[in-house]
Amino acid sequence: MAVTSDYALPCGRDVEQVWEAMDLADEHTRTCPHCAAVRESLQVLRAATAEMVREEVEPPGDLVSRVMSAVRADVRRADVVPLPGDGLARISTRAVAAVLRYAADGVDGVRARGCRVVEAPESTVADPLIEVELSIAITVGRVTHETYEEVRRRVLAAASARIGVRLAGLDLVVSDVLEG
Amino acid sequence: MIETVVSTPAVAAVAVHAAEQVAGVRVQPGVAGLVTSVVRAARQQIKGLRPAPVEGVRVRWSGAAVVLEVDVVISGEDQAAAVSRAVQRSVRALVPELTGVEVESVFVTVVDVAC
Repeated sequence: MAVTSDYALPCGRDVEQVWEAMDLADEHTRTCPHCAAVRESLQVLRAATAEMVREEVEPPGDLVSRVMSAVRADVRRADVVPLPGDGLARISTRAVAAVLRYAADGVDGVRARGCRVVEAPESTVADPLIEVELSIAITVGRVTHETYEEVRRRVLAAASARIGVRLAGLDLVVSDVLEG
Repeated sequence: MIETVVSTPAVAAVAVHAAEQVAGVRVQPGVAGLVTSVVRAARQQIKGLRPAPVEGVRVRWSGAAVVLEVDVVISGEDQAAAVSRAVQRSVRALVPELTGVEVESVFVTVVDVAC
C-alpha cells in the first residue's frame, strides 16, 4: 500500500493510515469526515477482494473426458465406412467394430478380441457393403460348430439392426481358447 | 433492400441444435473444435454471454449455400443408418428455416456408438 502514502488527506492523515486504522475507533477516525469518506471506499475494496479470495477457480470436472472424446473423434473420423442412404452418411470403423464385438460377446463362452472392418470392393453408394474379420477367444468346452454359427448369426443381426449395413463377408478367427 | 448476412458460427450453432433434436444423438467436437470453443467461450464470458455450441459441425460455403459436416455420437438403441438419416433431415429442415441459408448437402459421420 506504499503507493497510497502520498495521498495525504486534508486532516493530516494519509490513506495508508486510514487503512491501518480501519477497524479501530479512535476519536479522530470517528469524527473526521475525510477519513470517513476514504474508509467507505476502502471497505468496498476490501469486500470485493475478499470475495475474489473466497472464489475457487476450478477447471470443469469433465475437462479430461471432453478432451479425450475430442481426440477419439479425430482419430475415428479418419477411418469410416458408408451407411446406406445418399452416400453422405458414414460411420467410423471403430464404432462398427465396437457394436459387432459387443454382439459376439453375448454368446456363452465367447470373448471378442480384435475386429477389423473395411468397405467391400463391390460396395456401391446405393448398397454399401462391409467386410469384417472378427477374432474371438472361446472357452475350451464350447469350441463347436454351433458356437460359430451363433456368433455369426448374432454379428449379422447386430450389423443389420444396429448399424444398417450388409456384410459382404464375415471371417471368424479363433485366436485363442480359454480354460473353462 | 435489406440484406441479411448470417455468420458461419450462427449456421453451425443452428446445425448443432438441429442434430441434437434427434433422440439419442450428441454432436461430438474434435480437438480443433474444442480449442475454438474454449477461446470463444472465454471471450464471451467476459461480456457475460453464454455462446451456443458450434463445435462438431464444420461449415463450408458453396456460393450462398452451405455444405455441413456433422460428427455425432449415437446411443446404441437405434439403427445408425436411420439415426444419421434423421440427423440429415433435421439439419436440412431447421437450418434454412432458422437462418435462411440454403443447405447444399449434409455429411454425417457417426464417430461412436454407445453400447
